[in-house]
Amino acid sequence: MKKTALYPGCSLEGTANAYLASFQKAMSAMGIEIDELADWNCCGATSAHAVDHALYLSLAARNLELAEKQGYEEVLAPCAACYHRLASANAEFVKKDDLLGKVNSESELNYGGSVKVRNVLDLLANVIGSNRISQQVKNPLTGLNAVCYYGCLNTRIPHFKSFDDVAYPMSMDRIVSSLGANALDWGYKTDCCGASLFVTAESTTYRLVSKIIKDAEARGADCIVVACPMCHNNLDTKQADICREYEIKRTIPVLFITQLMGLAFGIDKSELRLADHFVDADKVGPAA
Amino acid sequence: MSQTSEIRENACLCYQCGKCSAGCPVAEDMEVLPHRVMHYVGMGMDEKVLDKNTIWMCAGCFTCAVRCPNDIDITSIMDDLRRKALNKGSKCAVPSVKTFHETFINDFCRRGRVHELRMMGEYNMKSGHPLHNASLAPKMLLRHRLHVLPPRTVKGFKKWIRRLLKRS
Repeated sequence: MKKTALYPGCSLEGTANAYLASFQKAMSAMGIEIDELADWNCCGATSAHAVDHALYLSLAARNLELAEKQGYEEVLAPCAACYHRLASANAEFVKKDDLLGKVNSESELNYGGSVKVRNVLDLLANVIGSNRISQQVKNPLTGLNAVCYYGCLNTRIPHFKSFDDVAYPMSMDRIVSSLGANALDWGYKTDCCGASLFVTAESTTYRLVSKIIKDAEARGADCIVVACPMCHNNLDTKQADICREYEIKRTIPVLFITQLMGLAFGIDKSELRLADHFVDADKVGPAA
Repeated sequence: MSQTSEIRENACLCYQCGKCSAGCPVAEDMEVLPHRVMHYVGMGMDEKVLDKNTIWMCAGCFTCAVRCPNDIDITSIMDDLRRKALNKGSKCAVPSVKTFHETFINDFCRRGRVHELRMMGEYNMKSGHPLHNASLAPKMLLRHRLHVLPPRTVKGFKKWIRRLLKRS
């Protein structure tokens, strides 16, 4: 594995702290240590690029320059929004002549463009691999029906060769299968949950989330697996209300992929912070 | 750093297939559909859309950008149009979205990282709904998903970002 720095991002320190905790537990169970990038700053999330493209590029360049200076070849961003901002800024630097030089001079930076950005799914599926993951399984999730929800930002970076299929990705499905669970086929793998419209245009996002939950329910999913703090927040926090409003028969627990790995690795539920969710995830496990 | 000319050139490639509008998850809430926006931008008639809700309702999901047969990065054109609307002082059709982005940016500019609890509180005050989702906060705090204390301050960030924002 190349020398990699963890870029946790603001959400993993806050609303998605369970993602960070379970990521660290799952990684150390496999004997993998990833140091945190020192002095990282916010990537700007959905807001910076939405109103100020140059600002988002500078924020990304500052983080990537830090990684370069600190001697890392890769940055791992478990948050899909952080991943998208860092990776798409990198892609723009490659595509557009002189852009990096311009951003560097305007931002008083000296990023050389050498750092590769990965997300957790890419790391798990393509670097660590299903074999190494399945070797760690002590408590196979036999009979557990899971749908993998990739959301938007893990695979959709314009003008960039994605680590997985853009429209119908399979990396998370393969990881879930290597834990012994059934990764179900479904129609909403990469449909949008509404992102920050969840705060600003509630009824729109409720509609988007309802479609996702409705299909997961119809396929008989016991849980929805995610790799994005925003997706998790939007699918989990108000799900009970959304199910009531859209007459969906039952709520479905939403887990981070690293939490599901932790369960299969035999890590204690409290360490994986399953109780942080609003939709009760306590019963997620192998079928009785 | 204005991208406008480059973006206009790009939008000229649009042949109105409508794939962007067909796949857009929020199209039904938009006053002007994305393919129409591309038409206006390609024709140099950006003004037609700056005061419409489309640019603010766009969720930034990049579905249109990766599906466009002419590789037009429609999502980033929406970013550019928002910037333009703000610079021109156009009427904002969805003020809550604008307030949210401004509040979010202000928040991370303070320390380099977002303090979600503070940011949401400020957003509620500024958007005129101080108690919006207020019942959620204690539940989030109990679940360790919000923190009363702010995140660690990133060394030198505040000065860096101030200089940067002053230049642009």
